[in-house]
Amino acid sequence: MASSSSSGLTFKLHPLVIVNISDHYTRVKSQSLPPPATAHCAAHNNVEASSLPPSPPPRVFGCVIGVQRGRTVEIFNSFELLYDASTNSLDRAFIEKKQELYKKVFPQFYVLGWYSTGSDAQESDMIIHKALMDINESPVFILLNPSINHAQKDLPVTIYESEMHVIDGNPQLIFVQSSYTIETVEAERISVDHVAHLKPSDGGSAATQLAAHLTGIHSAIKMLNSRIRVLHHYLLAMQKGDTPYENSLLRQVSSLLRRLPAIESEKFQDDFLMEYNDTLLISYLAMFTNCASTMNELVEKFNTAYDRNSRRGGRTGFI
Amino acid sequence: MDLFSSSTIARQTWELENNIVTTAADAADSSSAASDAIFYYDEAAQVKFQQEKPWSIDPHFFKRVKISALALLKMVVHARSGGTIEVMGLMQGKTDGDAIIVMDAFALPVEGTETRVNAQADAYEYMVDYSQTNKQAGRLENVVGWYHSHPGYGCWLSGIDVSTQMLNQQFQEPFLAVVIDPTRTVSAGKVDIGAFRTYPEGYKPPDEPVSEYQTIPLNKIEDFGVHCKQYYSLDITYFKSGLDSHLLDLLWNKYWVNTLSSSPLLGNGDYVAGQISDLAEKIEQAESQLSHSRFGSLITAPQRKKEEESQLTKITRDSAKITVEQVHGLMSQVIKDILFNSVRQSNKSQAESSSPEPMVET
Repeated sequence: MASSSSSGLTFKLHPLVIVNISDHYTRVKSQSLPPPATAHCAAHNNVEASSLPPSPPPRVFGCVIGVQRGRTVEIFNSFELLYDASTNSLDRAFIEKKQELYKKVFPQFYVLGWYSTGSDAQESDMIIHKALMDINESPVFILLNPSINHAQKDLPVTIYESEMHVIDGNPQLIFVQSSYTIETVEAERISVDHVAHLKPSDGGSAATQLAAHLTGIHSAIKMLNSRIRVLHHYLLAMQKGDTPYENSLLRQVSSLLRRLPAIESEKFQDDFLMEYNDTLLISYLAMFTNCASTMNELVEKFNTAYDRNSRRGGRTGFI
Repeated sequence: MDLFSSSTIARQTWELENNIVTTAADAADSSSAASDAIFYYDEAAQVKFQQEKPWSIDPHFFKRVKISALALLKMVVHARSGGTIEVMGLMQGKTDGDAIIVMDAFALPVEGTETRVNAQADAYEYMVDYSQTNKQAGRLENVVGWYHSHPGYGCWLSGIDVSTQMLNQQFQEPFLAVVIDPTRTVSAGKVDIGAFRTYPEGYKPPDEPVSEYQTIPLNKIEDFGVHCKQYYSLDITYFKSGLDSHLLDLLWNKYWVNTLSSSPLLGNGDYVAGQISDLAEKIEQAESQLSHSRFGSLITAPQRKKEEESQLTKITRDSAKITVEQVHGLMSQVIKDILFNSVRQSNKSQAESSSPEPMVET
């Protein structure tokens, strides 16, 4: 099981897939180990259940679907599969059926591979992988590590591809790890944000909305800042001579710096200012509307208060 | 008794109802296991609840909805993928006292137009197939509701939706209707979702609940007004498993980039334009009403005046909402400009490095 990088395909993973796998796993786990005491297991079972050590969590299996455009593989969605432990294979008829169903709703998605939970890829997984090769000639294998480890800073999701390597004279398929990026659509990002941070869901006042919006941006900028600091320290250490020179990294940093300022052209400035002016115009108009409405209220109240005069004397001076 | 989160309340209620005795030894296990207890599907308890039918006595029985993170994500992504076309799907889950719990959702291959009342025959087939395969794969819950999207015109039930839901509530109880507006979600930066149940025919709700005001475009406002008293909305809370929260936290490490780089102004241009033109029409309408009353007698019933006033205040609120969203979008753009574009300027002169010149460019 080598862990070198892959054949040059770029992988993009959507958060929906991750939440899907996690939900599948949680469901299967909680169904197989019922909660500490249920209404039906009476007291005698209670003692048994609490004294049993927790059994190793079951592995779940499923299929991932998405789109492959050229060298980019984008994984959008996933669904569960039936696993037959005796023959160590996935139920084929089931895959076909599910695939048909999903094709009806998302016609552009193809089967791209499969997923499983666990801490490491195993030998037996290669058999499943080979079985899927007749649906997709180079499937991907996504592994989610469900153990919650708070010290870990990185997502416990790894993507493996299969490559033909020559080991001890015979060509074998082994798993190699590949890197991936997380890709989201705007709507996905907002709902993930919503559930992750449980932002206020109702309108609230304008102040709370503003606070929520700016807090989001603030945390993003904080992340950016901390990452830049890390790079900065590293470069300082390199300059002082504490760490050895690493030319590839230096090249990357310098290319990054050369990309700033991001856009600098006449057209951009014009468009930017136009957008700025448009927004100011909208707020100006909103102010107007507000003033007009307040004025209207004032006039109505005034009219109601001085109504008697106009009726009596026939004067219509207050409109 | 801490009242901090819905999952703690759910756990405590559940524990209370089931007379749980937790030993000290697995207290640590039980806390993590019990917070995921919501994922456990208790078939017998569900069947028992079905037979009791407490909702037939009280039309206002169900008061809360709990939606899982997965279901929300799936529904919003599906609604957004439809663009300006309404899409629909079904939700699976269970009930828990006076709350309906939505565990999962799936899309239906139905093209939504306002004239469709029900899913067509092949959608029924799809539903049955999908439920069967799901049960095999370990998802044991039943269908507990349906969701559909109202792209751009808010979360409420239209006349057709109301009749569909009334039908559903007669034959497929317990059933819930959820509406999502993906356009407003993206524009406002927060999820626009509503959960509703209809009252049975002829039932008059005891009190008029104050519903949150939302902007409704002119061409839909009649439909909204006629039917808005026939249903009530339920509170929505969300839940996620321990593993979900952990993964979502870690996910933040990767997509803070997307948060910073999102440009709501660019993405929503035509939606905002639509909103503004709708607002303009409403203003014209309000103006014509006002001018009529001027020439009418001044002894007109005060009700009419109040209506126009509230019309104008509604317009003011709408315009304020549009403006606030625009300003938020602009703020993001300005922040990005400062962060990534002002580099060279600081070399040229210190004075200019603070912010780009707003309006006057010579």
